[in-house]
Amino acid sequence: MLRIDRRSAQNFDWLLLGLTILLVGLGLGNLFSATYASASDGMAPEMRRQLTALGLGAVALVVAVTIDYRHLERLAVPLYAGTLLLLVSTLVLAPVIRGSQGWLVFGPLRLQPSELARIGVVVVLARWFARNPPGQIRLLRELWVPAVLVALPVGLIVLQRDMGVALLTLLVASSFLVFVRIPVRAWAVVAALGVAVLAGLWRFGLKDYQRSRILDFLDPGRDPLASGYQVIQSTIAVGSGGLFGKGWLEGTQTQLRFLPTQHTDFVFSVLAEEWGLLGSLLVLGLFVALLLWGLVIARNSKDNFGALLAVGCVALLFWPACINVAMVIGLAPVIGVPLPLFSYGGSGLLASLATIGLLLNVSMRRYMF
Amino acid sequence: MSVQGNLGSGLEPHIERRVLWLFVAVVAAFSLFALRLFHLQVIQGEALRLRSESNRIRIVRLEAPRGKILDREGREIATTRAAFSVQAIPAEVRRPETTWPVLARLMDGDARELRDRVGAPTGRSRFQPVDLSSDLSRDALARVEAHRYGLPGITTDVRPRRLYVDGGLASHLLGTLGEIREEQLATREFADYRAGDVVGLTGVEALFESHLRGRAGGRNVVVDVAGREVEVLEEVEPRPGGGLALTLDWDLQRVAYEGFAREDPARPAAGAVVALDPRNGDVLVLVSSPAYDPNAFVGGIDVGLWRSLSEDQRRPLHDRALSGQYPPGSTYKPFVAAAALEEGLIGPGQRVFCPGHWRLGRRTYRCWKRPGHGSVDLARALIESCDVFFYEAGRKLGIDRIAYFARGFGLGRRTGIGLPQEKEGLVPTTAWKLAKRGEPWVEGETISAAIGQGFNLVTPLQLVVATAALANGGVQVQPRIVLHTTDRDGRVLEATTPEVRGKVPVSAAHLERVRDILIGVVEDPRGTGRAARVQGLEVAGKTGTAQVVGLAHTEDLDEGEVRETHRDHAWFIAFAPARAPEIAVVVLVEHGGHGSSAAAPIAGRVLRLWWDKRQGIAPAPDAGLVTATGGGAPAPQEGEAALAED
Repeated sequence: MLRIDRRSAQNFDWLLLGLTILLVGLGLGNLFSATYASASDGMAPEMRRQLTALGLGAVALVVAVTIDYRHLERLAVPLYAGTLLLLVSTLVLAPVIRGSQGWLVFGPLRLQPSELARIGVVVVLARWFARNPPGQIRLLRELWVPAVLVALPVGLIVLQRDMGVALLTLLVASSFLVFVRIPVRAWAVVAALGVAVLAGLWRFGLKDYQRSRILDFLDPGRDPLASGYQVIQSTIAVGSGGLFGKGWLEGTQTQLRFLPTQHTDFVFSVLAEEWGLLGSLLVLGLFVALLLWGLVIARNSKDNFGALLAVGCVALLFWPACINVAMVIGLAPVIGVPLPLFSYGGSGLLASLATIGLLLNVSMRRYMF
Repeated sequence: MSVQGNLGSGLEPHIERRVLWLFVAVVAAFSLFALRLFHLQVIQGEALRLRSESNRIRIVRLEAPRGKILDREGREIATTRAAFSVQAIPAEVRRPETTWPVLARLMDGDARELRDRVGAPTGRSRFQPVDLSSDLSRDALARVEAHRYGLPGITTDVRPRRLYVDGGLASHLLGTLGEIREEQLATREFADYRAGDVVGLTGVEALFESHLRGRAGGRNVVVDVAGREVEVLEEVEPRPGGGLALTLDWDLQRVAYEGFAREDPARPAAGAVVALDPRNGDVLVLVSSPAYDPNAFVGGIDVGLWRSLSEDQRRPLHDRALSGQYPPGSTYKPFVAAAALEEGLIGPGQRVFCPGHWRLGRRTYRCWKRPGHGSVDLARALIESCDVFFYEAGRKLGIDRIAYFARGFGLGRRTGIGLPQEKEGLVPTTAWKLAKRGEPWVEGETISAAIGQGFNLVTPLQLVVATAALANGGVQVQPRIVLHTTDRDGRVLEATTPEVRGKVPVSAAHLERVRDILIGVVEDPRGTGRAARVQGLEVAGKTGTAQVVGLAHTEDLDEGEVRETHRDHAWFIAFAPARAPEIAVVVLVEHGGHGSSAAAPIAGRVLRLWWDKRQGIAPAPDAGLVTATGGGAPAPQEGEAALAED
């Protein structure tokens, strides 16, 4: 089971791997610059940890490639259960860090289970939709099983007060809805329900600073030096990069640390400031290539599960990239979603590489029948 | 190993088609991002680049050290020292719950006070530094510096700060510094000042503000978001202010000032000493006691201290030398004598018999010496301060002629020293009384005026100008407090020139006659001013005692029983060397009692030190002066103001 036969090896998707390596390399270079200002001797500790996470991520990628994805279908339920268990234990064991309770600590390793939970959700949903062909789903109530499957982990993540990840998980899961045939008026009901839920969240689920972040998005001039500060500084950083950028390690917004959380949420501003429009478009182009190639893999898949798994993996990468970039360039509120492969964060990098491993997995097994 | 798909193999065409939707979604989203990036980086790029520049460049103001103030011998009276300040940038202070207690312990301060001072600013002011201490001790600074990295948002700074070397020694003359007031900022004169700037509020500091101030410099620095300076782009050095050399002799100033503290150093007597050079008007001594420490005003005075100073019944903020107005008492007699001589009312050898009282109409006016002085000529009348002689002279002169000569000596008007606190004093005339009181002048009032009582008011400064005119042959000099201005390196810029205000309308011969008689006041065994004698120096002088309340209530009491605030003011005027005067001194001791015992010894100390310095003898320690002046025979006491009415 844990092996790659000769045929699969021949079909290995070098293009996807190449895109991945390019993005990871650019991401590390950019992260080096983003953390340079706080480094005392060349390399910041964040950079060292990220390199360690890259090693672990490479292992995760290899593992994700090696297990035939059709075995993964059978493993989906235990994987999902394990995910839930991890989330519950986080809630019980993890300390509260900066208002959120998202990290499990194992000695020197800190794991953020909510980053990995999304993969479990995607796998279990791919399995469910593979067994319940979405082309035949016409009623909302037929979706109650996937709804519960999503609600459980999202609920647990909400309890950890990690709204960004909760929202992200919801968005990733809802990507599967593109395949069902539920009429528009039914979605109107969903929308109404959604508004009600959001209103409830707004009233009871959000902390003051989160509410003010959303208000700042809607009106960034509201308090330019308080929380709208982030948006404004980020916009200045991006815009001041101009066409060609200020050069690596030369971004004044970055190196003088005007950018908020520049190595995590606002890492793309660093790129835009130092590499300008050309560098930003190059990276966005690479992302688009990777995502579209992921969709090609889905289309080329020889079974529903493979296609749905590939679509899920694309969603896993698309949504955080989309929200993050939109937030950094002032098109979305600041909700603390990292940019895959670029932002600092070991669990995120591990999860992204595992996701790409799954894509490679589906891709190389497209001729298996 | 074979794997069987549960629902048959092959991808549903429906799924395949719908994946195309996702293609469209991905391309649409990222196209939107590309457009937005183009908008930000190309269309708005230049504007945002400018904003990123202004984001990181701060202008730091570098305050200029204020110019030095020196005495006539080049000693520093007011200079500049380095003051260490600590600020907090509210937005940068993390963990306030630990920052304030830790900082308070390092600074020897109070955590709550620090926290309250910073408060909870919002908006832009969260990034403005708040001064936590503008004058930290060197030790405390070292402690704060050592812990700065554990205290984000806390910064330190060095600024120049005014230092008055000897505290209150000349506080009223030097004046005070303080933060510029809002109404000043609105005027043209202070156009280049900013809120929070230090400005001279009173005294020499205010008078020479534009010369002393210098020009603040600035530094364009690149700062990071914590406000830490990363790089200096450009620096304009502050230009220190120019200096001043005053006419004061700091040795004499000190000995005069300390003269008030001899009885009780913690509670110096109230009064004033002014000395000037009768040849050119140079003010050598200008003391008002009690004083205050002007250093306390420099960084903004503490409210409690301000209240205690302004509510103190002894009024330490009041400049007695320039704005204190007192009846001159018997120190007026030499001037009345000069007037009478000039008017030919006292012939050579003319004598008046003093039986101890004098009658005018139905009223009886007493001489301070109840048994009377017997037959006295002008010389004896001045030496023994006979009131009856001057009642007679005053009646003959009439109030308007007395006033004419008094004004001729410079009394009753400002001397032109240039300090705004100076008062005019009062030389009464018939016209004045009619205009101010609406009543005609009464001849009896002339009698009190002739011995320096009644409506007469002089300031110690006016009296020293008049004394100098008596000494120098009738020239009314304008008191001069600044010798020259210097540039910031101490080179002389512009020397002031002595100014003459007018000529006394009395012939030199008559002035010389009065002058010779005044030598006897100090040198004669029966003179009232013997306490001001100086070995080897001929001193001329006159004591005076200014009545505070009518003696009707107090004449039957022993001196000790009279309440201090009802006790008379003691005066002494003097000049030396008597026949070629180079210094004129006036001493006033409020409620000091007799001029001979309270005021003359202080003048004696000033003259003694002046004489020693002039002869090239180094200033003797203060203890030596006590025996030199206090060890003489006790001077006869006087009580000239014994003026009673039937």
